[in-house]
Amino acid sequence: MAQILVVDDSGTVRDEVCNFLRANGLAVASAMDGKDGLVKLKADSSIKLIISDVNMPNMDGLTMAEKIRTELNNSAVNIIMLTTENSPSMKERGKAAGIKGWIVKPFNGPAVISSIKKLSG
Amino acid sequence: MSIRYRITLLIALSFAAIFAIGAYAIFQAKSNATQVKNVTEKVVPSALAASDLVSQLKDVQLEATALVTATDKNIIDQVNENLTAKKAKLQEGIELQARQATNKAQQGLIRQIKENINNYFNAVDDTAKYKLAGQNELANANFYANATEFQRELGQIIETLRVEKIRTKDQAISALNQNLSQTATGISVVSIITILMLSVFGIILYRRIITPLRQMQTMMSEIATSQDFTRQVPVERMDEIGHSIVAFNMMIVKIQERSAELKQKTTDILAMLQNIPQGILTIIEDNKIHPEYSTYLETIFETRNMAGRDIMDLVFSNTNIGADALSQIEAVMGACIAEDVMNFEFNQHLLIGEIEKKMPGGQTKILDLSWSPIADDTNTIVRIMLCIRDVTELRKLAIEASKQKRELEIIGEILSVTQEKFHEFIAGSIRFIDENELLIRENPGHNADAIAYLFRNMHTIKGNARTYGLNHLTNIVHEAEQSYAELLKPRPAIAWDQATMMENLLAVKESVEHYARINELSLGRKGPGRRGNIDHYMMVEKRQIRETLQRLEKVNTSNLHELLAAHSSVQGTLRLLGTERIAEILDGVFASLPALATELGKEPPIIDIQDNGYVIHNHIAGLLKNVFMHLLRNSLDHGLESPGERLQQNKPAAGKIKLQMAAQDGMLQIRLGDDGRGLALARIRKIAIEKNMISSDTLLDDEETANLIFLPGFSTADKVTEVSGRGVGMDAVQNFVKRENGMIKIHFYDDKTGANFRQFEFIVSLPQIFSENVKGIDFHTQTTIDGILAELKFTEALPVAG
Repeated sequence: MAQILVVDDSGTVRDEVCNFLRANGLAVASAMDGKDGLVKLKADSSIKLIISDVNMPNMDGLTMAEKIRTELNNSAVNIIMLTTENSPSMKERGKAAGIKGWIVKPFNGPAVISSIKKLSG
Repeated sequence: MSIRYRITLLIALSFAAIFAIGAYAIFQAKSNATQVKNVTEKVVPSALAASDLVSQLKDVQLEATALVTATDKNIIDQVNENLTAKKAKLQEGIELQARQATNKAQQGLIRQIKENINNYFNAVDDTAKYKLAGQNELANANFYANATEFQRELGQIIETLRVEKIRTKDQAISALNQNLSQTATGISVVSIITILMLSVFGIILYRRIITPLRQMQTMMSEIATSQDFTRQVPVERMDEIGHSIVAFNMMIVKIQERSAELKQKTTDILAMLQNIPQGILTIIEDNKIHPEYSTYLETIFETRNMAGRDIMDLVFSNTNIGADALSQIEAVMGACIAEDVMNFEFNQHLLIGEIEKKMPGGQTKILDLSWSPIADDTNTIVRIMLCIRDVTELRKLAIEASKQKRELEIIGEILSVTQEKFHEFIAGSIRFIDENELLIRENPGHNADAIAYLFRNMHTIKGNARTYGLNHLTNIVHEAEQSYAELLKPRPAIAWDQATMMENLLAVKESVEHYARINELSLGRKGPGRRGNIDHYMMVEKRQIRETLQRLEKVNTSNLHELLAAHSSVQGTLRLLGTERIAEILDGVFASLPALATELGKEPPIIDIQDNGYVIHNHIAGLLKNVFMHLLRNSLDHGLESPGERLQQNKPAAGKIKLQMAAQDGMLQIRLGDDGRGLALARIRKIAIEKNMISSDTLLDDEETANLIFLPGFSTADKVTEVSGRGVGMDAVQNFVKRENGMIKIHFYDDKTGANFRQFEFIVSLPQIFSENVKGIDFHTQTTIDGILAELKFTEALPVAG
């Protein structure tokens, strides 16, 4: 049972984000890439928000988001992307896949926590 | 009447007309049907029956004839039987005709038929009776004589009835046809009239609706095309269209109000953007700058035409921001524009608030950046607004202010120590520092004795500094002392490093010297203590230093005006430190004048000083004392006459010496004049010729002659007196002043050109930086000059605090 699923191939980033969210009283699960993310999301229906990296091996974050909407037919879960840069084509894909927001790395907890709580509540 | 009523009326009328036409048609159809029924069921069958009567009569006649001619008994009976039946049938036919008689003619005919038929039947019955009785002859005779006659008459009457019946039938059919035709005509006429009426009514209604609608449409199109919202569509009638037009006009008025408001707002915003002394721009997609930006932005960035330029290029090129931070800013803008406003919250911490940017002109500016999202109704960010302030000056002032603050604190600290004690402290500290310097130099490596000595010395300085409350110094000394304390430990964490130790010592030395410099120069407290005129030092009270400090501490460093005001106030306070009034500087000189006057057999002069608020930095006090000592003694010796001489000339016995201060062309001018006999030009010339400074035929004007007194070796005194001629001539005095970039001039203020004596004054000019004007200083806490003057007091050096 988790409210938030953190998807990132970097263990450091994953741990940092997860620890921060846990410290703020949020239930968190994590996944290593897009494929893993899909599996974890399918297994846990209580997930309300996914915070995902864009570039990952096996399956990137945007593809995962698209598959969540089409294959899992899940339009309810909120998705936020962690990114370092963005291009118009990326934003367009994101919009189509119902991406709620873009957080430019590094992930800065205190500034985003209130919005994250709203999205995962 | 409203259009709704008209249309309703038209529909109602149409219904009424259709109903009327229908009712009329039904009524006519019904009456025609009765007529048709009458014709088909009564008139026609009756006519046919009348025709039948003729044949029935013939049948009866034929049977009667057959009876007469019959011979056989059986046949007679048979014929008689037939005859009876046919008679009955004829009788029945006649009865039917009697019932169907429709007019008097027919009734009359029927009546005749009935009379004749009885006669006929009687005759036939008689014939039959005779025949049955076998009286054939009688039967024959009766039959042919009576029956046949009656039959012929009856036949004629029946024929007449038949003709009459056919005529009646024809008449009925003709009447029926006429009725049907009338009905058709009637319905047609009513229908045509109704259609005409409805058409007329409809056309009127159509015109009433369509014409104003078309007008309204035209006007609305014109207004929409011209955007001239001052126009109105005229209202002709208060029907639905009229109401629509009124509503439209109201809408136009509202639109006009709104568009005027919008125009005003746009103008306001444009004016604001043009005039606001702040850089404001908005960023649209692809990080481009929106064409509407504040004009001041061009001043900040020293460039024009920023519309459509890349924000990263305009604002962030040539700045102190690293490539990674720049890429973050770029990514944040991309992540925000056209996205939910939440994205700004997520990322705004990455948007940098202050940058240092090298401008095209070569200057480096510090820019304060403030970012905010502009979102639409759906909370989607359409643009990012960036407000840019050039805070270069502000930051510079803030640094300046913190320096001032430190300076003030140091001054406050020094003022809390008596001059004597402070002097002792400085001298002692310098001694310890020098000792330490020597010790460090002599010991390139660790030396336990040396470090103990070093520590003790530094500890003493720190202890003294702390005792006197010299906090800034204490902090610096503390650092050096701590490094010694570390080296004192059996296993010091730091190495014995001569260079570092010298560096630390130098810092202490500089700080001590800084304190000493402030004490001497700013506060004018040189030496162990001043004798005589220490009371006369113009100093700022401790309280004022404290207030000024508080002011500096409270100042909002992001507000340029506040910072400037505080800065100038502090500047004023600082400037007044170590200044004196000329009256106080020359106090000793003035004090010596009465004795000198007595010695010269003159009345002590009255001194009139007008300093006009100018005070003088006390480091040129010595110079002024020397200069004015000389000038004032000269005035008393050469200028002012003896009391007797003065009284003869109607002057008061006591001479008057006037000293005035003013500033002109960046110079402080001190004018000194007296009401004595004036400058002895003839005597000056004579002396100059005697001393071979000029030849006897040299032509000089008054100014040139007067300036001879500034030549080296010129002395006007007959003998070297105690007073003026102390071996220091006017040339030396002039040189003192020139050394400080000043000048002494002689100015005649009478118009007696060429006279032996001329009224004059000395003008001593010195660079204005040697003076301050208390009237020009804005203390902010005081509103009047008197208040400011009251604030500044001639204070004694303050006692040691605590």
